[in-house]
Amino acid sequence: MDPETFRRDLGVWLDANADDLTPPYEDTGSMEESMEHYARVKRALYDAGFGRYGWPESVGGLGGSPLLRAIVGEEINFRDLADPNAWTMIEVLAPTVIEFAPPELAARLVPPFIRGDEMWCQGFSEPDAGSDLASLSCRATKTDGGWLVSGQKIWTSFIEYSQRCVLLTRTGEPDSAHRGITALLVDVDSPGITYSPIETMHGRTDFAEVHFDDVFVPADRLLGQENGGWQVAMDILPYERSTTFWHRGALLHRRLSDLVAQVAASGDHSDIAAKALGQAFQSIVAFRSRSRDTQRQLASGQPLGVETSIDKILITTAEQQLFETARDLLPGVIEFDDGLIAAQWRTDYLYSKAASIYGGTAEVQRNIVARRLLDLGPES
Amino acid sequence: MSEPINADELALLAASFEAIMAESPGPGEADQALIDLGWADLLDASPRQAAAMAFSALGATGSAASLLDDVVVSALGVNVSPQTCVVFPAPHRAEAPARFGDELVVDGLVSARVESATTAVVAFDGEDGRGIAGIDASLLRERAAGGVDPGNAYRRVSLEVAAAAIEPVAAGGSWESAAAAARVALAHQLLGGARWMLAEARQHAIDRVQFGRPVASFQAVRHKLAESLVQIEGATSVSQRCLGDLNPLLAALAKSLAGQAARTTAAHAQQVLAGIGFTAEHRFHYWLKRMLVIDTLFGSAGSLPEEIGHHLLSQGTAPRLIQL
Repeated sequence: MDPETFRRDLGVWLDANADDLTPPYEDTGSMEESMEHYARVKRALYDAGFGRYGWPESVGGLGGSPLLRAIVGEEINFRDLADPNAWTMIEVLAPTVIEFAPPELAARLVPPFIRGDEMWCQGFSEPDAGSDLASLSCRATKTDGGWLVSGQKIWTSFIEYSQRCVLLTRTGEPDSAHRGITALLVDVDSPGITYSPIETMHGRTDFAEVHFDDVFVPADRLLGQENGGWQVAMDILPYERSTTFWHRGALLHRRLSDLVAQVAASGDHSDIAAKALGQAFQSIVAFRSRSRDTQRQLASGQPLGVETSIDKILITTAEQQLFETARDLLPGVIEFDDGLIAAQWRTDYLYSKAASIYGGTAEVQRNIVARRLLDLGPES
Repeated sequence: MSEPINADELALLAASFEAIMAESPGPGEADQALIDLGWADLLDASPRQAAAMAFSALGATGSAASLLDDVVVSALGVNVSPQTCVVFPAPHRAEAPARFGDELVVDGLVSARVESATTAVVAFDGEDGRGIAGIDASLLRERAAGGVDPGNAYRRVSLEVAAAAIEPVAAGGSWESAAAAARVALAHQLLGGARWMLAEARQHAIDRVQFGRPVASFQAVRHKLAESLVQIEGATSVSQRCLGDLNPLLAALAKSLAGQAARTTAAHAQQVLAGIGFTAEHRFHYWLKRMLVIDTLFGSAGSLPEEIGHHLLSQGTAPRLIQL
């Protein structure tokens, strides 16, 4: 299907169903409210067909280019119809599970995820394995018919609302680094899994600390090869940095438009305001243009690799610059104002501080660019 | 109109262009050879692809060929010729470089093309709106090129021309579209130059040993070079977007981003090159000075964001511009 036709049809449908799809809550709503609404939007898109394009037929999709999924998320974000972070999970996890799970497992488990009936989460980071992910220690030991998992994960988003978790475990020697990691697809209701929410500085509790205490995982829940989990993790990164970044870029674009409208309405047409807005806009455009190239590359079937670190640095820069600009051009709003509009700017401003930390820190990204793209040799 | 060019032919031509530019790097020196190679036809057939190729080559080789005159002339729908030059806007601006009242008051810049040209094309604003005029190019030759980059031979011109000495020019294209075409071309030149500076700094960082190891092994150095590449790639992507239909706002963004990438890369490359990069012996300073001049033409990374922001404020929204 031609992407522009798809976008037009989708836009018509979204506008016609705006009453059902617009969040019933004000501001960002509570976690429960926003997750419930996310599931409702996802399901409505699935039933209308738009949510099935770009996914293979083997998992309940209608086929077609992954560009179509990028367009769905973009239009949802431009219209602010669903929690943008909840939306990222399927784009990060489903393509990799489809690629690495045995086909019959993917055919059974992925469809409810695509329908919006299920939420999944990602168990990668650990308290002692952040930037140095390959040093993770959550252990999976072979047992009759499967694995026993014990250890700890952190920054696991949405586990409270999730049915499954893509988990990285240590199956090799403790010092086996990336050679001894295995990826498993775990049911979150398995006995032995406990979690406690982490309250963040922007006032949401969408992260959790997770404990695994002899959790049994059946052998058929292996993703990829035993000790081949690093490949699974590396496969996820390009997806995380293509479709979900494109979605987030749309959100940033909408927020910049909001800012322009607010500043224009306030009557501030000063050169200082114009320059700051122009700079924020050009950073977003640079990211969007780069991300478009990446989307096109993915859609044409070419592998994505370390060059997506550039996309990551561009979007992080654009996001932090945008909300710093909002703080400057809406004097005192983030610091003092009450009301929904101020609360949204405040939440976005504070959340933007995480952008240079999650998904590989700003420093790790620059290390990758230096080593792999500029070929500067080893670091001292 | 000649046939549009395909990518393979363009790559071959790029190599020939670079060879000619490298051989004759002085102001306007390569112009005739490039026209003999088909530059004018190429500009006629595939204006944006041709300009992107030629201006990337200008940036990479450090050549001072006067091709910007041809880009503007071609976008205005006037015949490209070594006998035609253009009055460009004053530094950091993009509006018409002249006002027409009782006489034509010109305040702008000219390239080395002014030396060989017989006619100078000047856009002006007057009571009846905007127009394009031709004046005798010899009027503009009175001042020798100076400034920070005499090797580039752009020079400031300000003069009054009597109404009787002005020829009307039948222009098929608007000044706005010519300015947009110039901005995209200059963006490619800035990025070609930025890539050259980054390559020089990278090689130096690998070769230069201090504290018993290459300075490229220090994270502070690596991150400066990484940041340069990131900005270059972001700006390059936007410049590539301008190969299709030319949107004036996107052209302004491309020039601004390229200017910013060049500024960042120049600063980081200078720091990494350290002492040797401060000498006249190392070629870095030629590129630095060229970048200073090219950045100011048709709006700089310092002035363009303001122009772009005023456009957004006047619309009350930010257009999407980039589609999948």
